[in-house]
Amino acid sequence: MSHLDEGTLHALLDGELDVTEAREVQSHLGTCVACGSRLQEVKQFLAEADRLVGALEMPAGAAASPPRPPRQSAPPSRRQLHEPETWEEAPVLLVLDNAEALARRRRWFRALGWAAMIAVVIGGGRALLNVVGQHGSLPPAHDITMAARSGPQAVASPQETAGPEQSANQAPTAPVRTLAKTRPSAPKTTPQPKAAAVTPLVDSAREPADTAADEFADSAQPDTETLAAAGATAESVSTDSVARDTQAKDTARPEDDLATRRAAAQALAELDRQRRRERAAAATAALQPAAPARADAPAATEPPPPRTPEQRSQVYLRIGLDEAAKQLGSPVHVIEGMTPELIGLTYGRLVAGADPNRPVVRVVYVDSRGRMILLDQQRLRTGQAPSAGEGSLRWSVGDVMLYLRGEAGPDVLRSLQRRVR
Amino acid sequence: MTADLTELFEQYYGSLVRMLYRRTGDRDRAEDLAQETFARAVAAPPNNPRPWLFAVALNLVREDGRRAVRQGRRLELLRTDERPEQGPENDYERNERSTAVRAALAMLNERDREALLLKAEGFNYEEIAATLGLSKGAVGTTLARARRRLVEAYQSEGRGKNVAS
Repeated sequence: MSHLDEGTLHALLDGELDVTEAREVQSHLGTCVACGSRLQEVKQFLAEADRLVGALEMPAGAAASPPRPPRQSAPPSRRQLHEPETWEEAPVLLVLDNAEALARRRRWFRALGWAAMIAVVIGGGRALLNVVGQHGSLPPAHDITMAARSGPQAVASPQETAGPEQSANQAPTAPVRTLAKTRPSAPKTTPQPKAAAVTPLVDSAREPADTAADEFADSAQPDTETLAAAGATAESVSTDSVARDTQAKDTARPEDDLATRRAAAQALAELDRQRRRERAAAATAALQPAAPARADAPAATEPPPPRTPEQRSQVYLRIGLDEAAKQLGSPVHVIEGMTPELIGLTYGRLVAGADPNRPVVRVVYVDSRGRMILLDQQRLRTGQAPSAGEGSLRWSVGDVMLYLRGEAGPDVLRSLQRRVR
Repeated sequence: MTADLTELFEQYYGSLVRMLYRRTGDRDRAEDLAQETFARAVAAPPNNPRPWLFAVALNLVREDGRRAVRQGRRLELLRTDERPEQGPENDYERNERSTAVRAALAMLNERDREALLLKAEGFNYEEIAATLGLSKGAVGTTLARARRRLVEAYQSEGRGKNVAS
């Protein structure tokens, strides 16, 4: 086999090679030092690139979003299934980098043996319920170490992991047996043991021991608890009622989903309506300055907490610098040393002293303490006298009236006024 | 139909906005584009929703990309006046870093950049291939190139800055 190309190494690390490909690649890596060291390099690039892209998170508070109920109302289990918040489940593979790492990993797997055994036993125990339910007795036990120690094997293929019954047979712990006798069937048995058996391989391939052990314990824990609880009740409760319980749970879930979906549908529709209103208001603002303030409409139907900067600053339309300059007839004025949160148009009647029949260009700032500072600007009509007073926060530059207002005190505003350019 | 769309929304809206934000650097625009994408999904319900939604969203980004670039540049000009004294220090550092990452991302070609962003949303190679119209076999190579270039661009940018200051 010739040397591996970089794309293949990435595909390997991303878990995108099929079992036979992965085997070939790994056997090559076992013998080729050059490719082994390139794999190390590729790993670093991959991790660093993931980190960099991950660093591009949306600012949490700076620009509050419009209401997004689906994000909040979606049940967590669904979200984990379909839209991973963190990176997707790590790929199934174990890369043989070098002999030392392999030995380290072997030691580690031995240490993990007990945890792995519990997980396999629990997962397998569930699957065992099926077998026992059908045959009415426990099959004979086999060698237990195989399943628990299957770690250092190069790749956990579906075939290898898909047979939970076999590993389940090795289960020596009491709870599983009692459960197995009392519960006739348990739905969704296979995914659980699969995941449990596969996870440690994955993590050991990516990073050293600790996190994998934790994760392992985490994934095992809830199952142990539920099984233990089920085991406790199973003694007194008949098998029928247990079955009915699980059924009841299964039927309850779709209703929740339905409610969530309805809520999301409403939220989406409301969001659409709001956007439409905004656009309509923006389109008609120039023609009908006396139109009712858009801010009133959504406020009536929508709870206000996640207000957008536009709503907070009463800007009905965001505009760019060129549009602002067009409105003013000269470049927009800004406060030196501050970054505007947004530039937009607001109604003239909302700005004391401005012409109520024309829009006002509003540059919105948020200072370091989160206070909103508004620098309003409106071009003077021909013949309109600037109504400015010395030392006031309303003044004119050329034929543009400037109004500085905000949630900060007058002293702060005056100091900012000196920085307006 | 409505339920389907709601489900799509529920599953992918957050992911879509995040991807669009990473792509555009503008949260409002990201949300607008995500809305627009779902509006198109209403008009033509997709069979393979995730690749479809992300492909449409990326097309929308490209469509009004030129205008956005122009506006973005102007805002950047404005931003250069900014003095770092305002705002908490860590905010500033975070901004600085994400600006650097964004600059590095901007140096990639479109396909590489998109592949990276989709991978970051948990897409597998098959989905990336479907979204970007690549063969599945080409995805590994594309990602390999994209990751390497991103890291190198980011690092060289850091060096350039150190030399300049």
